[in-house]
Amino acid sequence: MGIFDRSTEGHVTPPVEVTLERGAIAFFAETIGEADPVHLDADAARAAGHPDILAPATYAVVVGTFAGQKAARQGQPDLLTLINGDLRVLLHGTEAYDYHGPMYAGDTVSVQNEVTGFSDPKGGKLEIAHVTTRITHAERGPIVTATRGIIHRLG
Amino acid sequence: MTITPQNAQIGDMIPDHKFGPVTRKTLALYAGASGDHNPIHIDLDFAKNAGMDDVFAHGMLSMAQLGRLVTNFAGQANVRHLDTRFTALTPVGAIVDCTGEVTDRREEDGETLLTLKLAAHIDDGTQTLKGEAIIAV
Repeated sequence: MGIFDRSTEGHVTPPVEVTLERGAIAFFAETIGEADPVHLDADAARAAGHPDILAPATYAVVVGTFAGQKAARQGQPDLLTLINGDLRVLLHGTEAYDYHGPMYAGDTVSVQNEVTGFSDPKGGKLEIAHVTTRITHAERGPIVTATRGIIHRLG
Repeated sequence: MTITPQNAQIGDMIPDHKFGPVTRKTLALYAGASGDHNPIHIDLDFAKNAGMDDVFAHGMLSMAQLGRLVTNFAGQANVRHLDTRFTALTPVGAIVDCTGEVTDRREEDGETLLTLKLAAHIDDGTQTLKGEAIIAV
Protein backbone atom coordinates (compact mmCIF):
# COMPACT_ATOMS: atom_id res chain seq x y z
CA MET A 1 0.00 0.00 0.00
CA GLY A 2 0.97 3.58 -0.38
CA ILE A 3 2.29 6.14 2.04
CA PHE A 4 -0.05 9.07 1.34
CA ASP A 5 -2.91 9.52 3.80
CA ARG A 6 -5.82 8.65 1.50
CA SER A 7 -8.35 9.92 4.05
CA THR A 8 -7.35 13.46 3.04
CA GLU A 9 -9.04 13.10 -0.39
CA GLY A 10 -11.45 16.00 -0.83
CA HIS A 11 -9.82 18.00 1.96
CA VAL A 12 -9.71 21.77 1.40
CA THR A 13 -7.23 23.71 3.52
CA PRO A 14 -8.33 26.93 5.24
CA PRO A 15 -7.38 30.02 3.18
CA VAL A 16 -4.00 31.52 4.07
CA GLU A 17 -3.16 35.11 3.18
CA VAL A 18 0.29 35.83 1.75
CA THR A 19 1.69 39.28 0.99
CA LEU A 20 4.17 39.28 -1.90
CA GLU A 21 7.41 41.04 -1.08
CA ARG A 22 9.65 42.93 -3.50
CA GLY A 23 12.92 41.51 -2.24
CA ALA A 24 11.64 37.94 -2.28
CA ILE A 25 10.38 38.22 -5.86
CA ALA A 26 13.64 39.83 -7.03
CA PHE A 27 15.68 37.10 -5.26
CA PHE A 28 13.62 34.43 -7.02
CA ALA A 29 13.87 36.17 -10.40
CA GLU A 30 17.64 36.55 -10.04
CA THR A 31 18.03 32.90 -9.01
CA ILE A 32 16.22 31.58 -12.09
CA GLY A 33 18.34 33.87 -14.27
CA GLU A 34 15.47 36.20 -15.19
CA ALA A 35 16.95 39.30 -16.79
CA ASP A 36 13.77 41.32 -17.49
CA PRO A 37 13.94 44.25 -15.02
CA VAL A 38 10.13 44.21 -14.51
CA HIS A 39 10.83 41.22 -12.22
CA LEU A 40 13.76 42.84 -10.43
CA ASP A 41 13.30 46.57 -10.04
CA ALA A 42 10.21 48.55 -8.99
CA ASP A 43 11.15 51.64 -11.03
CA ALA A 44 11.66 49.56 -14.18
CA ALA A 45 8.36 47.76 -13.53
CA ARG A 46 6.51 51.08 -13.18
CA ALA A 47 8.18 52.44 -16.30
CA ALA A 48 6.79 49.40 -18.15
CA GLY A 49 3.27 50.16 -16.91
CA HIS A 50 3.11 47.80 -13.91
CA PRO A 51 2.14 49.00 -10.40
CA ASP A 52 5.19 47.23 -8.87
CA ILE A 53 7.59 44.32 -9.46
CA LEU A 54 5.85 41.59 -11.49
CA ALA A 55 6.05 38.02 -10.16
CA PRO A 56 7.52 35.59 -12.75
CA ALA A 57 5.24 32.93 -14.29
CA THR A 58 6.23 30.13 -11.91
CA TYR A 59 6.20 32.29 -8.78
CA ALA A 60 2.78 30.77 -8.05
CA VAL A 61 4.54 27.72 -6.60
CA VAL A 62 6.52 29.98 -4.26
CA VAL A 63 3.38 31.74 -3.04
CA GLY A 64 1.89 28.31 -2.33
CA THR A 65 5.00 27.27 -0.41
CA PHE A 66 5.05 30.50 1.61
CA ALA A 67 1.38 29.90 2.47
CA GLY A 68 2.31 26.42 3.72
CA GLN A 69 5.13 27.83 5.84
CA LYS A 70 2.79 30.42 7.32
CA ALA A 71 0.21 27.72 8.10
CA ALA A 72 2.90 25.64 9.80
CA ARG A 73 3.96 28.62 11.94
CA GLN A 74 0.35 28.94 13.04
CA GLY A 75 0.25 25.29 14.05
CA GLN A 76 -1.61 24.03 10.94
CA PRO A 77 -0.06 21.23 8.86
CA ASP A 78 1.42 22.30 5.53
CA LEU A 79 0.20 20.35 2.51
CA LEU A 80 2.93 17.68 2.49
CA THR A 81 2.45 17.02 6.19
CA LEU A 82 -1.32 16.84 5.68
CA ILE A 83 -1.09 14.15 2.98
CA ASN A 84 1.86 12.41 4.72
CA GLY A 85 4.44 13.08 2.01
CA ASP A 86 7.77 11.24 2.47
CA LEU A 87 10.66 13.36 1.14
CA ARG A 88 12.94 10.31 0.77
CA VAL A 89 10.80 8.88 -2.04
CA LEU A 90 8.97 11.98 -3.22
CA LEU A 91 9.16 13.30 -6.77
CA HIS A 92 7.37 16.13 -8.51
CA GLY A 93 5.35 14.56 -11.31
CA THR A 94 3.39 17.35 -12.97
CA GLU A 95 2.71 21.07 -12.54
CA ALA A 96 0.17 23.17 -14.45
CA TYR A 97 -0.98 26.78 -14.27
CA ASP A 98 -4.03 28.52 -15.61
CA TYR A 99 -3.39 32.26 -15.43
CA HIS A 100 -6.25 34.67 -14.79
CA GLY A 101 -4.22 37.78 -13.90
CA PRO A 102 -0.81 39.07 -12.78
CA MET A 103 0.65 39.08 -9.25
CA TYR A 104 2.70 42.05 -8.07
CA ALA A 105 4.89 42.91 -5.09
CA GLY A 106 2.64 44.36 -2.41
CA ASP A 107 -0.34 42.18 -3.34
CA THR A 108 -1.98 40.22 -0.58
CA VAL A 109 -3.42 37.02 -2.00
CA SER A 110 -5.35 34.13 -0.53
CA VAL A 111 -4.07 30.57 -1.03
CA GLN A 112 -6.19 27.46 -0.72
CA ASN A 113 -5.25 23.84 -1.46
CA GLU A 114 -7.62 21.02 -2.34
CA VAL A 115 -6.56 17.37 -2.30
CA THR A 116 -8.48 16.23 -5.36
CA GLY A 117 -7.52 12.55 -5.34
CA PHE A 118 -4.92 9.80 -5.49
CA SER A 119 -3.90 7.38 -8.23
CA ASP A 120 -1.71 4.26 -8.39
CA PRO A 121 -0.01 4.01 -11.81
CA LYS A 122 2.59 1.45 -12.96
CA GLY A 123 0.96 -1.41 -11.08
CA GLY A 124 1.39 0.31 -7.74
CA LYS A 125 5.09 1.13 -8.21
CA LEU A 126 4.09 4.77 -7.99
CA GLU A 127 1.38 6.58 -6.10
CA ILE A 128 0.35 10.10 -7.02
CA ALA A 129 -1.39 12.75 -4.93
CA HIS A 130 -3.35 15.25 -7.05
CA VAL A 131 -3.61 18.73 -5.56
CA THR A 132 -5.18 21.96 -6.80
CA THR A 133 -4.02 25.32 -5.41
CA ARG A 134 -6.16 28.41 -5.96
CA ILE A 135 -4.59 31.83 -5.56
CA THR A 136 -7.09 34.69 -5.42
CA HIS A 137 -7.00 38.42 -4.81
CA ALA A 138 -9.77 40.07 -2.79
CA GLU A 139 -10.57 42.68 -5.46
CA ARG A 140 -9.16 41.17 -8.66
CA GLY A 141 -10.57 37.66 -8.12
CA PRO A 142 -8.82 34.48 -9.29
CA ILE A 143 -5.13 35.00 -10.15
CA VAL A 144 -3.74 31.50 -10.76
CA THR A 145 -5.11 27.98 -10.56
CA ALA A 146 -2.30 25.47 -10.09
CA THR A 147 -2.61 21.70 -10.31
CA ARG A 148 0.15 19.40 -9.18
CA GLY A 149 0.93 15.70 -9.16
CA ILE A 150 3.16 14.63 -6.27
CA ILE A 151 4.70 11.17 -6.65
CA HIS A 152 5.96 8.58 -4.18
CA ARG A 153 8.34 5.97 -5.61
CA LEU A 154 7.21 2.72 -3.96
CA GLY A 155 8.77 -0.04 -6.11
CA MET B 1 12.87 35.64 -40.30
CA THR B 2 12.40 36.00 -36.58
CA ILE B 3 9.42 34.02 -35.33
CA THR B 4 6.98 36.17 -33.34
CA PRO B 5 3.53 35.32 -31.93
CA GLN B 6 2.08 37.43 -34.75
CA ASN B 7 3.70 35.53 -37.61
CA ALA B 8 4.13 32.08 -36.01
CA GLN B 9 2.66 29.17 -37.94
CA ILE B 10 2.12 25.53 -37.01
CA GLY B 11 5.45 23.72 -37.09
CA ASP B 12 7.56 26.79 -36.30
CA MET B 13 10.13 26.60 -33.49
CA ILE B 14 10.19 29.62 -31.18
CA PRO B 15 13.62 31.01 -30.12
CA ASP B 16 15.13 28.50 -27.67
CA HIS B 17 16.47 29.24 -24.21
CA LYS B 18 19.40 27.72 -22.32
CA PHE B 19 20.11 27.77 -18.58
CA GLY B 20 23.09 26.48 -16.65
CA PRO B 21 25.21 24.70 -15.87
CA VAL B 22 23.12 23.98 -12.76
CA THR B 23 25.56 24.08 -9.86
CA ARG B 24 25.16 23.16 -6.19
CA LYS B 25 25.15 26.89 -5.54
CA THR B 26 22.21 27.29 -7.97
CA LEU B 27 20.30 24.63 -6.01
CA ALA B 28 21.11 26.23 -2.65
CA LEU B 29 19.92 29.61 -3.92
CA TYR B 30 16.80 28.10 -5.50
CA ALA B 31 15.95 26.36 -2.20
CA GLY B 32 16.17 29.70 -0.43
CA ALA B 33 14.42 31.77 -3.08
CA SER B 34 11.56 29.32 -3.65
CA GLY B 35 11.07 28.23 -0.05
CA ASP B 36 11.39 24.60 -1.21
CA HIS B 37 13.78 23.31 1.45
CA ASN B 38 13.45 19.63 0.52
CA PRO B 39 16.93 18.34 1.54
CA ILE B 40 17.07 15.90 -1.39
CA HIS B 41 18.18 18.91 -3.52
CA ILE B 42 20.76 20.46 -1.19
CA ASP B 43 21.97 17.93 1.37
CA LEU B 44 24.21 15.18 -0.02
CA ASP B 45 23.98 13.13 3.19
CA PHE B 46 20.18 13.11 2.98
CA ALA B 47 20.24 12.25 -0.73
CA LYS B 48 22.63 9.30 -0.14
CA ASN B 49 20.51 8.04 2.75
CA ALA B 50 17.53 8.13 0.37
CA GLY B 51 19.44 5.89 -2.08
CA MET B 52 20.52 8.60 -4.54
CA ASP B 53 24.11 9.02 -5.78
CA ASP B 54 23.91 12.79 -5.50
CA VAL B 55 21.53 15.68 -5.00
CA PHE B 56 19.50 16.67 -8.07
CA ALA B 57 17.83 19.85 -9.25
CA HIS B 58 14.37 21.03 -8.25
CA GLY B 59 11.96 20.25 -11.09
CA MET B 60 10.52 23.73 -10.63
CA LEU B 61 13.90 25.31 -11.43
CA SER B 62 13.60 23.78 -14.90
CA MET B 63 9.92 24.71 -15.18
CA ALA B 64 10.96 28.29 -14.37
CA GLN B 65 13.13 28.07 -17.50
CA LEU B 66 10.14 26.90 -19.57
CA GLY B 67 8.36 29.93 -18.12
CA ARG B 68 11.18 32.20 -19.29
CA LEU B 69 11.12 30.55 -22.74
CA VAL B 70 7.41 31.29 -23.10
CA THR B 71 7.31 34.76 -21.52
CA ASN B 72 10.34 35.86 -23.59
CA PHE B 73 8.41 34.89 -26.70
CA ALA B 74 4.87 35.96 -25.84
CA GLY B 75 5.11 38.51 -23.03
CA GLN B 76 3.90 37.33 -19.62
CA ALA B 77 0.53 39.09 -19.88
CA ASN B 78 -0.32 36.88 -22.87
CA VAL B 79 0.43 33.53 -21.24
CA ARG B 80 -2.86 31.78 -20.42
CA HIS B 81 -1.63 28.30 -19.52
CA LEU B 82 1.65 26.57 -18.77
CA ASP B 83 2.06 22.94 -17.81
CA THR B 84 4.78 20.35 -17.59
CA ARG B 85 5.45 16.74 -16.77
CA PHE B 86 8.83 16.03 -15.17
CA THR B 87 10.13 13.06 -17.15
CA ALA B 88 13.68 12.66 -15.79
CA LEU B 89 15.86 14.04 -12.99
CA THR B 90 18.22 16.93 -13.73
CA PRO B 91 21.67 16.23 -12.27
CA VAL B 92 24.17 18.75 -10.93
CA GLY B 93 26.21 20.17 -13.80
CA ALA B 94 23.44 19.92 -16.40
CA ILE B 95 22.74 22.60 -18.97
CA VAL B 96 18.98 22.85 -19.53
CA ASP B 97 17.94 23.55 -23.13
CA CYS B 98 14.32 24.66 -23.50
CA THR B 99 12.51 24.53 -26.84
CA GLY B 100 9.00 25.27 -28.06
CA GLU B 101 7.16 24.31 -31.20
CA VAL B 102 3.91 25.86 -32.43
CA THR B 103 1.38 23.04 -32.69
CA ASP B 104 -1.86 24.99 -33.08
CA ARG B 105 -3.07 28.43 -34.08
CA ARG B 106 -6.77 29.17 -33.71
CA GLU B 107 -9.35 31.91 -33.19
CA GLU B 108 -11.35 31.64 -29.98
CA ASP B 109 -13.75 34.23 -28.54
CA GLY B 110 -12.35 36.91 -30.84
CA GLU B 111 -8.67 36.34 -30.05
CA THR B 112 -5.88 34.33 -31.60
CA LEU B 113 -4.44 31.57 -29.43
CA LEU B 114 -1.25 29.60 -30.05
CA THR B 115 -0.47 26.24 -28.52
CA LEU B 116 3.22 25.54 -27.96
CA LYS B 117 4.68 22.11 -27.34
CA LEU B 118 7.50 22.60 -24.83
CA ALA B 119 10.51 20.48 -24.00
CA ALA B 120 13.61 20.66 -21.84
CA HIS B 121 16.61 18.50 -22.61
CA ILE B 122 19.90 18.30 -20.74
CA ASP B 123 23.24 18.17 -22.49
CA ASP B 124 23.46 14.34 -22.58
CA GLY B 125 20.26 14.36 -24.67
CA THR B 126 17.85 13.25 -21.92
CA GLN B 127 14.44 14.94 -22.04
CA THR B 128 13.67 16.20 -18.55
CA LEU B 129 10.44 18.14 -19.08
CA LYS B 130 7.55 17.74 -21.48
CA GLY B 131 4.97 20.48 -21.47
CA GLU B 132 2.57 22.80 -23.18
CA ALA B 133 1.70 26.48 -23.17
CA ILE B 134 -1.26 28.42 -24.52
CA ILE B 135 -0.63 32.06 -25.38
CA ALA B 136 -2.77 34.85 -26.73
CA VAL B 137 -1.40 36.80 -29.70
